Amino acid sequence: MDVVVCLKQVVDPELPAQEFAIDAGSRRQVRAGKALVISTYDENALEVALQLKDQGAATTVTALTIAPAAEAKDAIRLALAMGADKAVVVDEPRAPALLGVEKAALLAAALRRAGAFDLVLTGCESADWVERVVAPLLAEALEASCVTFVSRIEAGDGRVAARRLADDGVHTVEARLPAVISITSDESNRPRLPKIRDIMQAGKKPTETVPSAELTALPDALRDPGVDVREVTIPQRTTKCEFFEGEPADQAVALIQRLRAMKTI
Amino acid sequence: MSHVLVVANALDGTLARSALELLGGARAITGPDQLDAVLLAPQRLADAAATLGRHGVSRVFHVAHAALGTGQTDAALIATEAVMERAGPQVVLVAADTVGRELAPRLAFRRRAALITEAMALHQDGETLVARRQVYGGRAMATLAATKRPVVVSVKPRSFDVPEASVASGSVEDVPVTIDPGSLRAVVKNVAAETAEVGLEEAQVVIGGGRGIGGAEGFQLLQALAEQLQGAVGSSRPPADEGWVPISWQIGQTGKTIRPNLYVAVGISGAAQHIAGVSGARTIVAINRDNQAPIFSLAHFGLVGDYRQIVPALISKLKELKAI
Amino acid sequence: MEFELSEEHRMIQGMVREFASREILPRAALLDRTGEYPADIIHAAAVLGLMGMMVPEAYGGAGQDSISYVIAQEELARASAGVQAIVTVNNSLACDPILRWGSDDLKRRYLPALAGGRALGCYCLTEPAAGSDAMALTATARLDGDHWVLNGTKIFVTSGVEADICIVYARSGPDPGARGISAFVVEKAFPGIRVGKVEHKLGILCSSTAEIILDGCRVPRGNILGEPGQGGRIALATLDGGRLGIAAQAAGVARAALEDSTRYAKERRQFGHVIGEFEAIQWFLADMAVRLDAARLLIYRAAYLRDLGRPYTREVAMAKLFASETAMWAAHKAVQIHGGYGYVKEYNVERYFRDAKITEIYEGTSEIQRLVIARHVLKH
Repeated sequence: MDVVVCLKQVVDPELPAQEFAIDAGSRRQVRAGKALVISTYDENALEVALQLKDQGAATTVTALTIAPAAEAKDAIRLALAMGADKAVVVDEPRAPALLGVEKAALLAAALRRAGAFDLVLTGCESADWVERVVAPLLAEALEASCVTFVSRIEAGDGRVAARRLADDGVHTVEARLPAVISITSDESNRPRLPKIRDIMQAGKKPTETVPSAELTALPDALRDPGVDVREVTIPQRTTKCEFFEGEPADQAVALIQRLRAMKTI
Repeated sequence: MSHVLVVANALDGTLARSALELLGGARAITGPDQLDAVLLAPQRLADAAATLGRHGVSRVFHVAHAALGTGQTDAALIATEAVMERAGPQVVLVAADTVGRELAPRLAFRRRAALITEAMALHQDGETLVARRQVYGGRAMATLAATKRPVVVSVKPRSFDVPEASVASGSVEDVPVTIDPGSLRAVVKNVAAETAEVGLEEAQVVIGGGRGIGGAEGFQLLQALAEQLQGAVGSSRPPADEGWVPISWQIGQTGKTIRPNLYVAVGISGAAQHIAGVSGARTIVAINRDNQAPIFSLAHFGLVGDYRQIVPALISKLKELKAI
Repeated sequence: MEFELSEEHRMIQGMVREFASREILPRAALLDRTGEYPADIIHAAAVLGLMGMMVPEAYGGAGQDSISYVIAQEELARASAGVQAIVTVNNSLACDPILRWGSDDLKRRYLPALAGGRALGCYCLTEPAAGSDAMALTATARLDGDHWVLNGTKIFVTSGVEADICIVYARSGPDPGARGISAFVVEKAFPGIRVGKVEHKLGILCSSTAEIILDGCRVPRGNILGEPGQGGRIALATLDGGRLGIAAQAAGVARAALEDSTRYAKERRQFGHVIGEFEAIQWFLADMAVRLDAARLLIYRAAYLRDLGRPYTREVAMAKLFASETAMWAAHKAVQIHGGYGYVKEYNVERYFRDAKITEIYEGTSEIQRLVIARHVLKH
């Protein structure tokens, strides 16, 4: 089984709020000078793929990303160090501003161009725009099965059993291959740390860079995103936190008195 | 004003509350007699159809089919697509729940519709549908306008109130849809329902624990506090990922959205991912060792210190008050 | 002049930092309290390549340079100096002498196990009457057929309890001082070697410190490092490498002291202000930051020279001296900044204070480092 994992780089979502800013022109987060990381759940998706490889169910794991090529280096290097066999970078300078529909269109074209795949994994959402659309759109564009918010996958013969974390509990979803599955995190898919040896080997693994302009066979349904981002604003938090002073017991008493006075408790 | 089709999910055999919330959301963008719903259920649910009518739906298209069971997105997609074709709405509203999150993009793809997901507010700007949603894990709000029609919008749960019920005036039409079981590529084989003892989404008081709790044992302390306040315990993402608490306890972008009267965030730094799920709480108390933690920019009251000292102090004070 | 880490070094630093924050930091206080040997952490470290960092890949190591090594050691020690002590002894004092002076057979037999976490190494040099004056050691090695027979008592052996493979120094010839000493690779499983008294100590509590008793211990003839009589030189050269690891350990402790103090200075309120607004506290933090950076630069320079194969005895002595005194000073100030909370176990700074002290003592006390440096200074 050939597995492709779609990775996105985002500005480190753990950066303190004071480093967060919106660029008025692009209506996107200011990226210059900020640390980039692989979007949270994408790392979990890679881990699921690598576990399939460890089990012998996956033959190759390919990391696929759309990014300005120069920006993609660290993410790709890390993915290869963690254990991906090869990487494909769709070089797209506008990548950070693209919406999920546009990303899905490019990914579909890149996957078609790359040829055979059995399983495509994505994070269940990106840490920045949280659209949660790439996996379902890709599945449609590739006429593949779709399951989202999955934490574990068991490979079977021509199909997979996916453990979906649903609103009402856990669903076991059986899907025919090829399939596009979005991955959420649980204790079973915590991203592995790369071994030193693999860090050193990563640079020697094959990485292919494809200019996005070469990807012309976009799915018709995704050519027009149909959405205009009119405005992105940072809400002014009106709350001013009131701190209680003193030792723990004093703070506790002060809080309870306050909440009781407000009739909150 | 737009002609709206609401996807009413009753795949469990009961009408999801989120379907009624969608009707609340539809009010801002549609007029009388322009609100349709597709009711998806494994069997005919006359009561659910009637409930939709009482909450303002003018035409209920009811698809009852054995394949439309819990979590069966593929079947739900076929049924919804058929009804969408028939009803010809300009806007389709889908709850961003397990099925809806997946159904909305796939439906949009199939119907060449514009797509907006996780909307929290909707309005109409002339002929244009405009939605607002959180981006960057809740640090910013985006305003998105659909530049083509139809548009499929998924709506974040708890974004809208359920509208008042009145006398039903609409129609209910049973729509036969052919669903070939062989065509379903992904099928739910088993549902392990979580014991809903927590009732996180309904609780009036929620105590949330984060990475700072340090391990499963620490959550027992939070449980004890929750007991004193008749509340429920939840967590941010790290404790769920670490396996300290069940995944179902997770509050945030991924996880549950809560709107309690009182939210007490303990050992939670306030990553945007978590904030996105709690910003609807009326009063937020943060207990954290780091007074620079982002959670304090959201909290109304802050206690700086070690939760292992503060929480027992809170518990003993609450016990003392009860004894009086 | 290049002050940037390479891409590989940055990735290794990121990996070790993540490893330390996931696996070590959450348990550091508990390990300090119980003194339990962190077998699972050491195993995980070995899987990542941290137990034989500079051992070539051919012998199952990670094939890294010294820069990579000190970067990793600082990250580990920032989380737990005790855990790092186990790691650094295995790397610098067990793997390194085998790699540099061991026969091919010894390298093949021991390095993959030591680097792979299947065996743990320790270093048996110090004796009750031979501490700073290590070359006054009195343990003996006598050739008996195909075996060396070792007798003597070694003390203050880090990882002495858990170690499987011991580098043992003993007097094999009549020459006094360094020239009569040889170095041996001794398996704990050999007959005649046992663990004696286990020390109760001030800090680095999850790493054991023990007495190793050699009582007619029979060691195969081939288990000698280098030639008979080379042991004194091997001991000193090995300690140069060891000091790199200890210097990095000290930098890790100093960094922990600075980071915790900075956080506390931002959260602790007194007289209506967070204490970080008071100059008295700011000066402490500024001085801690300056000394930490200076220590790190000295460490990197020594590692750099070592990687070039150039003499670095003077430089590593400087690095070890300055870093360890920085760790002690920074931990002292960290306790002071934390006030009463610094004195109780709930906060980590009292642990840093206890851990820091050892860095001024082992692998050459500060006084010995000054002696080494002074010798180099006076030569010119």
